[in-house]
Amino acid sequence: MKPNTKDLISAGLLLSFALVGLLINGGLFGLGWEQHTLGSARRMGPGYMPMLAFWILMGLGVAVLVSGLFNGPDPLEKWTKNEIVYLIAGAIGGTATGIAASYMPGWIGAGWNPLGIGLFVGCLIPSIIESWRPLFLVSAAFTLFGLVLESLGFMLAIALSVVLSAFADKTHRPLGVVGLVAFLCALCWFVFIWYLDIRVPVWPELGR
Amino acid sequence: MDLIANLGHGFSVALTWNNLLFCLIGCIIGTAIGVLPGIGPVATISLLLPITFGQPATTAIIMLAGIYYGAQYGGSTTSILLNLPGEVSSVVTTLEGYKMARKGRAGAALAIAAIGSFFAGSVSTVLVAASGPLLTQVALSFGPADYFSLMFLGLIISAVLAQGSVIKSIGMVIFGVALGMVGTDVQTGQQRFTFGIPELSDGVGFVSIAMGMFGIAEIIMNLERPESRNVMSGKVGSLMMTRDEFKRSMPAVLRGTAVGSILGILPGGGAALASFASYMMERKVSKGRHEFGTGAIEGVAGPESANNAAAQTSFIPLLTLGIPANAVMALMVGALIIQGIQPGPRMVEAQPDLFWGLIASMWVGNLMLLIINLPMVGLWVKLLSVPYRHMYPSIMIFCAIGVYSLQNNVFDVYQTVFFGIFGYMCSKLRLEAAPMLVGFVLGPMMEENLRRAMLLSRGDWFVFLERPISATLLAIAAIALAAMLLPNIRKGKDAALAEGG
Repeated sequence: MKPNTKDLISAGLLLSFALVGLLINGGLFGLGWEQHTLGSARRMGPGYMPMLAFWILMGLGVAVLVSGLFNGPDPLEKWTKNEIVYLIAGAIGGTATGIAASYMPGWIGAGWNPLGIGLFVGCLIPSIIESWRPLFLVSAAFTLFGLVLESLGFMLAIALSVVLSAFADKTHRPLGVVGLVAFLCALCWFVFIWYLDIRVPVWPELGR
Repeated sequence: MDLIANLGHGFSVALTWNNLLFCLIGCIIGTAIGVLPGIGPVATISLLLPITFGQPATTAIIMLAGIYYGAQYGGSTTSILLNLPGEVSSVVTTLEGYKMARKGRAGAALAIAAIGSFFAGSVSTVLVAASGPLLTQVALSFGPADYFSLMFLGLIISAVLAQGSVIKSIGMVIFGVALGMVGTDVQTGQQRFTFGIPELSDGVGFVSIAMGMFGIAEIIMNLERPESRNVMSGKVGSLMMTRDEFKRSMPAVLRGTAVGSILGILPGGGAALASFASYMMERKVSKGRHEFGTGAIEGVAGPESANNAAAQTSFIPLLTLGIPANAVMALMVGALIIQGIQPGPRMVEAQPDLFWGLIASMWVGNLMLLIINLPMVGLWVKLLSVPYRHMYPSIMIFCAIGVYSLQNNVFDVYQTVFFGIFGYMCSKLRLEAAPMLVGFVLGPMMEENLRRAMLLSRGDWFVFLERPISATLLAIAAIALAAMLLPNIRKGKDAALAEGG
């Protein structure tokens, strides 16, 4: 019987979480960084419960792996070459941009902006491929919101983010998007600014 | 009678203007998302969590609960009229309900769904009220070891009853537990897995996980498989049932209420399981069983009563033991903790307003839903003409603002993006997100109780088997686990969940 691809990848995911976790936490026969005190069963240190959890996760990962070898084919949809290339390009491009941004002076390098910029670029690159758009364009639009919220203000952040996310669905019409932006700006202003009074600039703040 | 006095107190809380208003808002939103496919109660509640923080805890929980049971009402409407289940828990309603609609009895099906739900809701409200103080008494005699075993049982059952592979679900539970370890260790103050990020010292944002894995990931999955929606064409017809229909559906409502109430209390149970179990039961025992497949009213009355009963009784483990039975209840725990209330057996005494107010509001909410749903059915169906392309940016923006407003920190926004992508990956790999959320909520509580239990037992692991309560709970967990690994039972469950969605 053919192996179950989804199960095998899931097992890989669980096993790698367990392994990385144990390496950071400690409890893997002295290997890794051993960041946390394990303690004994009687007096458990901060690292004891994570150690237990990661070892159980490891065992379950192996169990999923073994059962995945036998419980029949369940293949993932094949990715096209373009999809893979752009996905990798996005991962590399996003990481590089993020690291580069963290060395930049001013707004670009401040606070969490490098993370946001890197995430945004990383999501935007694969969304050039149409089949990646639902996943990465929505993620990019979500990131964009966080990126511009504090500098450009609430209203512009909503507008930009909604317009960008609109490209993820082909049935959108320009006029419909404009209407949607207007509606959401009004609704969100009412709920979040007028009613909940969250502390956030509503309009662009000049001089920042 | 204590119960009556307490319920009276509950009504005095639930009937204040503010609580009534938020109960109504919750019910309306619940009905709306119940009608709309593509957004479920888990996503909606995580979406609205930040909005409720400005309110007192009682009001917040009343509204969130309204969303959950309101969704059970709303889900039936589209199942019956359009063969389009708005929620997982209404999938079985389509089987008989849509057939009834095609025969021109849509009105009767809608009526019995609403009346059955109301009846079930009223009964289960009383059940919650009666069992609450009782179970609390039991829970107060629990030691840390017993508590640990109870939570362990809850985790195992929530994984066993999840869709798909049991081993993978338990894997996700443990992953959730591990994720819950991130942050400052309560006893020593050591930072765990924070990588020097100050935002992580309070732990990974609960709302970020829920919104990412349920809200954002759901949007993406829906965008990938565009569905065409046919706007309502058939007519609702008269809402009146014939005398015969009424007589046939009454026993089904009673049975559905009983099944739903029991399955709701089970950890890991919930509305979806209950409606399916009730459907199976009606197909076997009801008088109209030979009509099943052609539009038998029992097939609507039973499951619709059951899912509503279960939606309400699933609050019992949460309110009395502090243990969430499913992902929605995990969100309620999150809401309570952010409000500064530790769920647990002391909640009934320490927060009488919350406990009794919530129970009373459930009954009030059910009454509201009856009125919101029956006469205004046409209005709700019109909601379906809102295309998904207008819905998803709205959901996205609400998520984004909500998660930012929690701490006024954009880090939470980026964190949510990561969980969105991770959630998408999980659903592609058939790793269930719901058990993970339950694990995440229970993880820290389990750790605390484990450490306490081991300290008391001087490092002896057998304490879990020596204490009778703990041993019993662990035995049940073992049986549940073993049962699911037996091929026959597993096949039965898979078939059940496949048909039930």
